[in-house]
Amino acid sequence: MTQANNKPRSPIAAHPITSAAIAILIAADIFFVLFTPIYARITPKLGNWPFFYWYLLVYMPVTSLALWLTLRLQNRLKQPPQDPATATQEGGVRS
Amino acid sequence: MSHVNTTVFTIVVALFVLVTGVGFAAGHWRRASDMMHLDEWGLGGRGFGTLITWFLLGGDLYTAYTFIAVPALVFGSGSIGFFAVAYTIMVFPIALIFLPRLWSVSRVHGYVTPADFIRGRYGSRGLALAAAFTGILALMPYIALQLVGIDAVLQVMGVGTTSTNTFVKDLPLIIAFLVLAAFTYFSGLRAPAMIAFIKDTLIYVFVLVAIFYIPTRIGGWGHIFGAAQTHFESINPKTGKPYGTFIPTSKAIGSTQFDFASLALGSAIALFLYPHTITGTLAAKRRTVVKRNMVYLPTYSVLLALIALFGYMAIADPATSASIKKAGGNAQLAVPYLFQHMFPPWFQGIAFAGIIIGALVPAAIMAIAAANLFTRNIFKEFFKPDASPRLQTQMSQWASLVVKIGALLFAIELPKTFSINLQLLGGIWILQLAPMMIGGLFTRWFHRWALLTGWLAGMAYGTIAAYNVSSPTASHWAGSSDIVFGHSVYIGLTAVIINLVVAVVLTLVLKATKVPEGIDETLPHQYTADPEDTPAPAPAGVGLGTAAD
Repeated sequence: MTQANNKPRSPIAAHPITSAAIAILIAADIFFVLFTPIYARITPKLGNWPFFYWYLLVYMPVTSLALWLTLRLQNRLKQPPQDPATATQEGGVRS
Repeated sequence: MSHVNTTVFTIVVALFVLVTGVGFAAGHWRRASDMMHLDEWGLGGRGFGTLITWFLLGGDLYTAYTFIAVPALVFGSGSIGFFAVAYTIMVFPIALIFLPRLWSVSRVHGYVTPADFIRGRYGSRGLALAAAFTGILALMPYIALQLVGIDAVLQVMGVGTTSTNTFVKDLPLIIAFLVLAAFTYFSGLRAPAMIAFIKDTLIYVFVLVAIFYIPTRIGGWGHIFGAAQTHFESINPKTGKPYGTFIPTSKAIGSTQFDFASLALGSAIALFLYPHTITGTLAAKRRTVVKRNMVYLPTYSVLLALIALFGYMAIADPATSASIKKAGGNAQLAVPYLFQHMFPPWFQGIAFAGIIIGALVPAAIMAIAAANLFTRNIFKEFFKPDASPRLQTQMSQWASLVVKIGALLFAIELPKTFSINLQLLGGIWILQLAPMMIGGLFTRWFHRWALLTGWLAGMAYGTIAAYNVSSPTASHWAGSSDIVFGHSVYIGLTAVIINLVVAVVLTLVLKATKVPEGIDETLPHQYTADPEDTPAPAPAGVGLGTAAD
């Protein structure tokens, strides 16, 4: 089965920089919480909070922000002028 | 402990009655002309907007797992319990990758369950049966965890612990359970969706109050973290090792960083493979609703992190620690006892009701999801292919009752030292759907028989490995990690890697020998479709699930 990105007018091919930015945003968002050596430490403390604990807490609004940005970028992948015309009952453009 | 505080008891019962009323009334909310259709009973008419979906999916995330199991692990073992925080961060970027595709293809083809998708994608009844079986099996311990959570609150309230008769002892739990079963039966998915509003209001109030108030009572955050650090670095005379870790360590022996990361990653991939989270997702009105929720849901996780810290507060408060010790060291009681020692009765009532309702909502969604799987992918597929929508709905209603009884058995049979293992056990099983589900959403490369064999290998390894984990208090099912190449790793993650390797190798073999691949009824553009991209605003109350039936 071929995928959307193999189609001749693929949104990924049409917007390489935006697509790369989306991929990097999502990958970074996962990496910086998956790779524990980055934050498994006590210092620097924030008030009385060890680094490990406040890092995780601060990470959540950051995730929200990163994903919000991702959605904004994904919207740019759509070709606005063609959007209403191609979006039908059976299938729309990539969103 | 046998003393029941009248104020606490009255408030909990009053809120429980309120929720029950709402649960039954929910059946009339945005009611469709024919409730006896699975799109209605099982998916709330497929018409939930961003806000309701947020509450519904939040309800899947915020369960007894959050209130009881995670703080219990934090109380008992320290920083490793915070893997749950890392997991609820990671889960959203991961879900954003594949969940919108699942929503789109399911909307176009009218899929109700994940196994429906597997059947359509691979044209394989066997593979769909495997997916349905796994989904139902994995939900059992997860529902059981909810029961353990309710039980912990009731125990601290002093309800039902005085009698030695098992039935009398568990009577309040059984009553709560029957009520849950009844309104799920009548109202379907609308009940938990509506109750989630009340539940979250209660929870937001008590968590925010507690997180600011408790530190002022017990000497501030400095003391809380200090007490936790001192405790976990001291040596447990029974084992000769430290009680736990305050910060995940990277030491050659006893490293917990790898364990931490693998538990977080495994749980994150697993969450949106669970049938109940998929149910919550498919009930969304539009594709953008699903996407937007990945942005808004992390705000839920902030509270999860704060609740995890209740575990440390329980360590820092001598009265709470003493109560837990007196109750046989049952860490599950950490949060209920903390609240009992910190707050006046009326506030305890609100908090305890919040936890109980917070366990009932996901239990209801899980039972519905498991019931849908049974009806669609086992009953209709193998026993009655011509089942009418009405019969399917009736079957689901009954199946939801059976599932709950199964969960009750899990709750009674498995060791409860760390109830979080119930959820992690479910995770081991559900993760074995990752290659066929997530893989299948992006590529049709995998061969159906290769996926089935891989699934079997992953299930076998995961189950045997989990069975063999022992602890000083339990000989089996005592944990969810085992040692691989010198590292302690979440069994679910190891199992799914085995699963994937088998699937890849066998796919190459089967493709080379040209074994028939089955018919794929989906088309590439359907994975990005939003049937309502050109909005014709439908009036509320009209069933929106008919677009693709």
